[in-house]
Amino acid sequence: MARPGILRDWFLIRSDLPQSRALALTLISFLLPLALWCFVSYVPWIWHPDVKIEISAEREGVTTVFTAGDHVSKGFFPEFEKAVRDENAAVIAARTAGTPETGARRKNQKLLRQISPVAVANGWLDYRDTQNDAALYHIWRDLATGAKVSKEPKITAENLEIIRSNWTMLSALSADFEFKKLPEEPLLKLVPQGKPANPVYLPEPDDVLRTGIRDFTASAPEGELTMKQRYQASLRVILLGFFWACVIGIPLGILCGVFDFFSKLIEPFVDFFRYMPAPTFSTLLVAVLMAGEAPKIALVFIGTVFQMVLVISKTTRLLDPSLLEAAQTLGAKPRQLLKNVVIPGILPNLYNDLRILLGWAWTWLVIAELIGMKSGLTEFIETQGRFRNFDRVFPVIILIGVTGFVTDQFLSWLHGLLFPWAGKSGRLSRGIFSVITWPFRMIAEGARERIAATEATSSDRSRPH
Amino acid sequence: MSSTITLPSYLEQTPEVAARFARLRERPVALEVKGLTKHFDTPRGRVTALNDVSFTVHKRELMCVIGPSGCGKSTLVRILAGLETASSGDVLVAGSPVSGPGPDRGMVFQGYTLFPWLSVKENVMFGPKMAGKSSYSAETEAREWISLVGLSRFENAYPHQLSGGMKQRVAIARALANQPRVLFMDEPFGALDAQTRCNMQSYLLEIWKNVDITIVFITHDLDEAVYLSDRILVLDANPGRVHEIVEVPVPRPRSESQLFDPSFMATRKHIDEIMHPPGQEQKDTPVMRLAVSDPDVV
Repeated sequence: MARPGILRDWFLIRSDLPQSRALALTLISFLLPLALWCFVSYVPWIWHPDVKIEISAEREGVTTVFTAGDHVSKGFFPEFEKAVRDENAAVIAARTAGTPETGARRKNQKLLRQISPVAVANGWLDYRDTQNDAALYHIWRDLATGAKVSKEPKITAENLEIIRSNWTMLSALSADFEFKKLPEEPLLKLVPQGKPANPVYLPEPDDVLRTGIRDFTASAPEGELTMKQRYQASLRVILLGFFWACVIGIPLGILCGVFDFFSKLIEPFVDFFRYMPAPTFSTLLVAVLMAGEAPKIALVFIGTVFQMVLVISKTTRLLDPSLLEAAQTLGAKPRQLLKNVVIPGILPNLYNDLRILLGWAWTWLVIAELIGMKSGLTEFIETQGRFRNFDRVFPVIILIGVTGFVTDQFLSWLHGLLFPWAGKSGRLSRGIFSVITWPFRMIAEGARERIAATEATSSDRSRPH
Repeated sequence: MSSTITLPSYLEQTPEVAARFARLRERPVALEVKGLTKHFDTPRGRVTALNDVSFTVHKRELMCVIGPSGCGKSTLVRILAGLETASSGDVLVAGSPVSGPGPDRGMVFQGYTLFPWLSVKENVMFGPKMAGKSSYSAETEAREWISLVGLSRFENAYPHQLSGGMKQRVAIARALANQPRVLFMDEPFGALDAQTRCNMQSYLLEIWKNVDITIVFITHDLDEAVYLSDRILVLDANPGRVHEIVEVPVPRPRSESQLFDPSFMATRKHIDEIMHPPGQEQKDTPVMRLAVSDPDVV
């Protein structure tokens, strides 16, 4: 029985798929996890065990304060709403009874700030400016008069009613914010509003994107680093650590691979040492090299160099011995063998080894940045993670991933250019670069065609009739 | 039609051929091997790969070494090239003993041992450059050798862009560029297809005619040995020792049409009988009997 078409087209034992199919699968491999993330985040009836608060309120006699953006469980949220409604009912009851509480100006000022998350979400207010009472006062006015309508979050009819009633009281006393002219009797609180949400550790993709863009474009607060500076600091640590590992590791590795003397002298100890996890040396490194960049670089170095010696010595030993024999029969002396055969011969594999080791160095980076004085991207991840601001953590994690991936694919593509005799670059990197260079190639082709066309017409013209 | 062709003895030489061998014997000795013995110590005891092998190769001679597999012909050539050491015995090149590899003895291997990171030209320049020649003179020389093997068009190509036959031609040019006294070739055409192999043999004879070089050629192919050689060194297996040195009575210059000359066939038959004594194949080859067999085939 013939295999059905789909099996025959897509599932081939040990043979490559055609380019278009391979490309499609590559795209899907990235889009699939993203789609899954979107699916879980945006389809409301999937999971969503929490409520993400959009408008919050303080409750009398309760010290736990929720602010907008906090998550509460679905079960608790109605309780929260009810508590605030009850308080409002009490205020109204007192008012109708003619015995309103007085001296509530301070409370009212805080109450007015309830609207700030809405203002920020709509872009009426900067997120660092949430205590700008004058501006907030006008936002209350505009919402009450209908001059401003909040698109996201939608304000419920109940809350709009509260806004209007509050504004009636406020506008009776003053058109602009002035603390002395705030009402003495309490205003009504906005009833908490929220939307179904996933737990805090799984922020929505658009949230992650927005906070990511915000964090990476923001200027840093006093005494702190911008994300760009953090990123540079991280790259510096990893590159310096890796550089020193290369300076020591590559020559040692090659010597071990070439001379049994060095192999027997160095490799046993290196083999032993690499089993001691690099992070265990962190306190020692800080003690020796002091806080600062040095112990971090040293940690990346220690984590990388021992593996490097072993991997490179193995690569060196794998060089085809018949090449060495051929060179010897051509009269190459030991030094010439090393320089003219061993080194050029192992270079493509050495390059690939370094690519893999650079990937490992990224792992050590995260640990390195936590020792001594925390620094770089990891410090940000660590700090924000403690505040449970996972929407700020994710962009950084993704950035590290993207950096590693892009670097590796670039190096893989470069491999094909540097060592054409040692095979093509990785398929994925070739695919990526053919996509990137596509517009340029199209432009070049267009130019060629135009030149060909003009040449053709000019030769037509010059041809005698 | 059944007629038995009666072949002459391989020892019968025409006067021209006999005179040729007489002249050959008078030429100086390019390579002398005296009492070469090689043992390997294995966990199962000592194995003797070569036992007291002695022979001489004269200047400008092309000698083939042939023998059944396991007779140590590769070990022999590796010792001669200095890539392995003998347990005892001497190798003398132009009268002086040698040890270790050196540019006076070139080698062409069965596998393609071109340096893949170097272009054809740079591969051929390798030997002269190792000898300390300037890039300019090495390049000039390399161009000459490349044109000798007919690859001038490919001097800037890289080995991975060449066919198997072309690679071996580059390997020959590379070995010759050092102008060695003796060129060892260890089954150099073994990995090539039959057609290319045939061309390469003619090619080699052409090169040998034009270049002042002594060649020791290892092969397991009878036709190749008879077609190429002045003399054939036939080795015995287990342990490898010299069985006979056969003077090939086929006149030169050689051509493929000589493949059916009586002298060619006689020599071939003689060596074949040394390597496969009559009656032995039957014993060695297990015969599989099929339950159902086509009478026309059987």
